[in-house]
Amino acid sequence: MIAMLMVGGGYARAGEEAEPHWREIAWPYPRDGWPAGRAFRCVEGACGDAEVYVRPKLGFCNCDTGVADDDEVDRVADIDLISPRFAPRELGQVVRVAEMPGRLRSYDLAMPDGGRHVAVGIAVSHRCDLLVAVAQGTDDAPKIERAALEFLDTADMRRWMGSAMEGR
Amino acid sequence: MGAHVRVVICFSLSLFACGGAFAQSQVIGAAPEAANMKLVGYNDLQARSAYQPTIHHQGDRYIAYIGHHGGTDDVPAPVNPLTGKAEPNGTSIVDVTDPAHPVYLRHIPGQEGKYEGGGGQMVRVCDGKALPKGDPSAVYLLRTFGGEAHEIWNVADPANPVLVTRIGGLKDTHKSWWECDTGIAFLVSGAPDWRTRRMTQVYDLSDPAHPVKIRDFGLPGQEPGATGAVPTELHGPISTGPSGNRVYFGYGTNKGGFLQIVDRDKLLNGPKEPTPDNLRYPEISRLAMSAFNGAHTVFPMPGMPIAEFAKDKEGKTRDIVMIVDEAILNECAEPRQMVWLADVTVENRPMMISSYTVPEASGNFCERGGRFGSHSSNESMAPIYYKKMAFIAFFNAGVRALDIRDPYHPKEVGYFIPSITSATDKRCVTIDGKDRCKVAIQTNNVETDERGYIYIVDRANTGLHILELSGEAHAAAVLP
Repeated sequence: MIAMLMVGGGYARAGEEAEPHWREIAWPYPRDGWPAGRAFRCVEGACGDAEVYVRPKLGFCNCDTGVADDDEVDRVADIDLISPRFAPRELGQVVRVAEMPGRLRSYDLAMPDGGRHVAVGIAVSHRCDLLVAVAQGTDDAPKIERAALEFLDTADMRRWMGSAMEGR
Repeated sequence: MGAHVRVVICFSLSLFACGGAFAQSQVIGAAPEAANMKLVGYNDLQARSAYQPTIHHQGDRYIAYIGHHGGTDDVPAPVNPLTGKAEPNGTSIVDVTDPAHPVYLRHIPGQEGKYEGGGGQMVRVCDGKALPKGDPSAVYLLRTFGGEAHEIWNVADPANPVLVTRIGGLKDTHKSWWECDTGIAFLVSGAPDWRTRRMTQVYDLSDPAHPVKIRDFGLPGQEPGATGAVPTELHGPISTGPSGNRVYFGYGTNKGGFLQIVDRDKLLNGPKEPTPDNLRYPEISRLAMSAFNGAHTVFPMPGMPIAEFAKDKEGKTRDIVMIVDEAILNECAEPRQMVWLADVTVENRPMMISSYTVPEASGNFCERGGRFGSHSSNESMAPIYYKKMAFIAFFNAGVRALDIRDPYHPKEVGYFIPSITSATDKRCVTIDGKDRCKVAIQTNNVETDERGYIYIVDRANTGLHILELSGEAHAAAVLP
């Protein structure tokens, strides 16, 4: 049974986009080497049609250097779950999620149905462990990135990510 | 009760059932746990975390060269008693001519750094007289220098090694392979422009003083400029040389692994520009493993006679590759990493035929602390054990001796779990944000020599144990 989570809240004034609301959905990908994480779909507001997938990868990280470069984000951020055909849009940037340092990079995705999506891959680390998140949708990359980072910064998500990283 | 007495009783009852009687946690001063393997000699390796041992018959001596991981948080650079100086972990050189009394000769410092971030994990050794253009008086040690370089040292005088050459500028290195008869080396490297942490750089090291690069090699998608999904990174290759004309590459460590079978001649002489087509050209086939498992060691054993098939008109012998996964996480926090045997006789349809793991309940290994699961096998192809016995490093379950004469039904015939010492380092898991640590043996790597001695080294700083077979295991190996 997937626990349902609605995150966000508030009302929009005329001319403003509503505050994003996310609904938890079932993990949409087949089992791979890592346990399934949590998946969320934007159901209202400034997150458009984005979905966010987030999970820990314990024991996967370079213990000393963490997520050191964009290649690491390409390798670990689960972009390939959505589509194996992706290309970076630009150089990545440093990011912190739940007090963990790492990198963020946006990608153009060629979807299996022939459509085009944008994804934002995030990989942050603590010691030898990774936490990865990927957001995808048809909006522009900055909007998806902003919505994803705000979502990951909510108290519920920060609490869950800390727990998923075994209390780190 | 003495260790030997206990061993005899244990084996007479049941090999597996006996282990369960042992305590969950190891205690300093307790006897080693063993069946059909016994301790011959020991060296503490200056309490350095150890990875690859290579035993070289050097003149009338046997020398063990042992690569080390980096230091620990508590002791980043242990003091070398021979120099009185703190030295970053690198390579230990130990005279094991008398295996009961190993003599520590020299420590060559490695790259500064802790755990996998420093040291000099890998070692291979070739005689200069075996290499086509080597100095006949030299003995060459090929080692990694942390993640940043490969080095070759002349260790003809193993107590006084001399640096010969260095191949640097890399972002990672690991479990390389060196053909002593040709000088061709398959160096596990991290070329800076490749998209993966580890790939292969093929070098001609027939003249170790003048390395000649042949090509970069990896999986399509890992090469510079590629986009899209990045395939699983390399762990290590083993070549069968010009006569076998195959190189077996193991990818993945504890996840998403596969065995790649490569035509050596095409790899060396085919088109070398790292395009997807050129990278595919030498590949014969792949054997995909479960996403739960990786391929740390892929050990080829071509042409094994299978007794059960002796009367069959075809298929009496089989080409077998033993694949050993690496456990990564402490206290069983991942799927079991174990040993797989693959029949690759029909190369484009390789197939797993058997597996082996230590029964967890035989020693309550998930509760002992540290890693439990396989890591590596011996890689010596000396006749004494080749295609008959295999030795598997199994972290807190010590080393396991497998009778593999019937690779369809491998059978454990002995084991040895060393005692911990005051040097044995802790291994921790995080619970509710706090570290909870235990101390357990972490048998990391194993090698054998042509005399039949088995050398195991410990990742948790316990040192080198030199073992020999006894009882049923001795008989299974058909030792004199």
